[in-house]
Amino acid sequence: MSLEAVPAALPMVRLEGVSKTYRRGTVAVPVLEAVDLSIATGAFEAFMGPSGSGKSTLLNLISGLDRPSTGIVEVAGRNLAELDDRELSDWRAAHVGFIFQLYNLIPVLTAAENVELPLLLTPLSRAERRRHVAAALDLVGLSHRVSHRPPQMSGGEQQRVAIARAIVTDPDLIIADEPTGDLDRKAAEAVLDLFGVLHQELHKTLVMVTHDPHAAERAGRVHHLEKGVLQ
Amino acid sequence: MNYVRLACRDLLRNPLRLTLTILAGAVGVTAFIFLRTVIDIFYFGAEAAQVDRLIVRNKVSITQPLPLSYYARIAALPGVTAVTHQEWFGGTLGETQKDFFANFAIDPSTFLDVFPEFLTTPAELSAFRSDPCGALIGEKLARRFGWKTGDRVTLKGQIYPGDWTFNVRGIYTGARPSTDTTALVFGYRCLNESPQLPKAMKDQVGIYAVRVDDPARSAQVAAAIDAMFDNSPYPTKTESEKAFQLGFVAMSSAILTSVKVVSTVILLIILLVIGNTLAMGVRERTRDIATLRAMGFRPSTVVMLVLAESSVIGFAAAALGVLAAPSLVNGFARLVASQFGQLPDNVMRGRTLVVSALAAVVVSLLAGIGPALRAVRLPVAEGLRKVA
Repeated sequence: MSLEAVPAALPMVRLEGVSKTYRRGTVAVPVLEAVDLSIATGAFEAFMGPSGSGKSTLLNLISGLDRPSTGIVEVAGRNLAELDDRELSDWRAAHVGFIFQLYNLIPVLTAAENVELPLLLTPLSRAERRRHVAAALDLVGLSHRVSHRPPQMSGGEQQRVAIARAIVTDPDLIIADEPTGDLDRKAAEAVLDLFGVLHQELHKTLVMVTHDPHAAERAGRVHHLEKGVLQ
Repeated sequence: MNYVRLACRDLLRNPLRLTLTILAGAVGVTAFIFLRTVIDIFYFGAEAAQVDRLIVRNKVSITQPLPLSYYARIAALPGVTAVTHQEWFGGTLGETQKDFFANFAIDPSTFLDVFPEFLTTPAELSAFRSDPCGALIGEKLARRFGWKTGDRVTLKGQIYPGDWTFNVRGIYTGARPSTDTTALVFGYRCLNESPQLPKAMKDQVGIYAVRVDDPARSAQVAAAIDAMFDNSPYPTKTESEKAFQLGFVAMSSAILTSVKVVSTVILLIILLVIGNTLAMGVRERTRDIATLRAMGFRPSTVVMLVLAESSVIGFAAAALGVLAAPSLVNGFARLVASQFGQLPDNVMRGRTLVVSALAAVVVSLLAGIGPALRAVRLPVAEGLRKVA
């Protein structure tokens, strides 16, 4: 289904000796230190840790939004350091779906248009794009909300639209940054149920950062980060 | 859904701000068109000039006269096909310059040989020529004051003392849109043979207008005329009609330069207004733009989206400005008609409108460059952390 299928034997994500240091003026602030990590294709793994432990930074490195100070980040068999910014954009469009804590939907677009956004980067025709959008919204149970804009929807519905947007291009890897952090318990459960569908039925690789132990319970493996070090 | 629709939806996030920005841009475009039209007005006479016409004036100054006796000597020169003379009369309807219009004393028998673009009927021309104090008035002037053939018009002389009454013998039209139909011309004899005229002003004219058989020989004929009167008490300066008209423009060069500077400043104001709106819009959408880039939208695509927004604003402002400009220019024309004379009908040029609209769009695009680059320079991860 994906544009470049990843052989099942290869890990989806492989980090080797990855460190990340930010500069605050003249001061170097280490955020991640010598992280080694392997996430199997089709796995659902969660990262937990206190604020400032480096969870989001790790997620940014895995998804190609940021580059490590040292070390190797390989995703879907590709060393991301080999890609320039433009290639990295194209790579993300083809391989990664994003789910954010605050949904990050474009408020002036309808649910269908939001879901269609990543498809603008594909060679699909308009009719094909519409078909994909309808299927994605159907999967998240929002076929009846296609014409609604984000401000007209509940937080849970918005996050389901965001999930539809993340999966509409059929990416290898889905990155979720605190996906239930802004939701009530019921809506959070609905979102986590959808993650279960993506993982178990569609065999997607999910990498999730969360503070929520209930959410982490759904993952197959939970990693803990403490002051930039993977425990 | 497509990129254009996405750009338009982004623009409509704040309809009030968008409306005010477009209106501000439109006001700027209208003001720009107005000022460029004012500049065009200065050059109107020069553009109406004919290549086969020369103007002979006193070498010292346009305000100094030339003797009437030069007529025959100029007419006898090889290459000259017709000569006529004119005298600026400068009369007013009342004591003041209110209701001003141009009025000249001309030679009825030769005027139309040199200025064939002034059209009148044979009957009117005959009546004009046979009446020493007959006058022809331009159709726009006739419309302005409701004058018709047979009316008598009395002007108060500002240069030539006393009241001067002329008989309207005809109404002339223009062969070209650029022909001035806002003036009154009357027979030179009425002025020159009048007992009201001071003796010192007799047999003098303001300029001679000369038609040549071959425009390529204009410079040669001009040199011959000037050489003929070089050592006389009234030396001449002969130049093309266009150069003569541009000489008047040059007298107003300081004003023209000021108007040009102000019109450029207006473009800068449009740039800043649109740039400010786009910068605010992009800043407010930092997280949305970062989300698009996280999804795989290339920086160039984001730049294109922002520039599409700026060009939409530019097009809208240009369209509104172009639509509003005629009202402003016509209002101005009405306002100045009583002070400086009526402006020609086609004073606002299509070229000016097109140039102004293009300038607005280009300036809008330029205004979008800064915000667009800022939108893509921010690291994606940092942009995603921004809360609107």
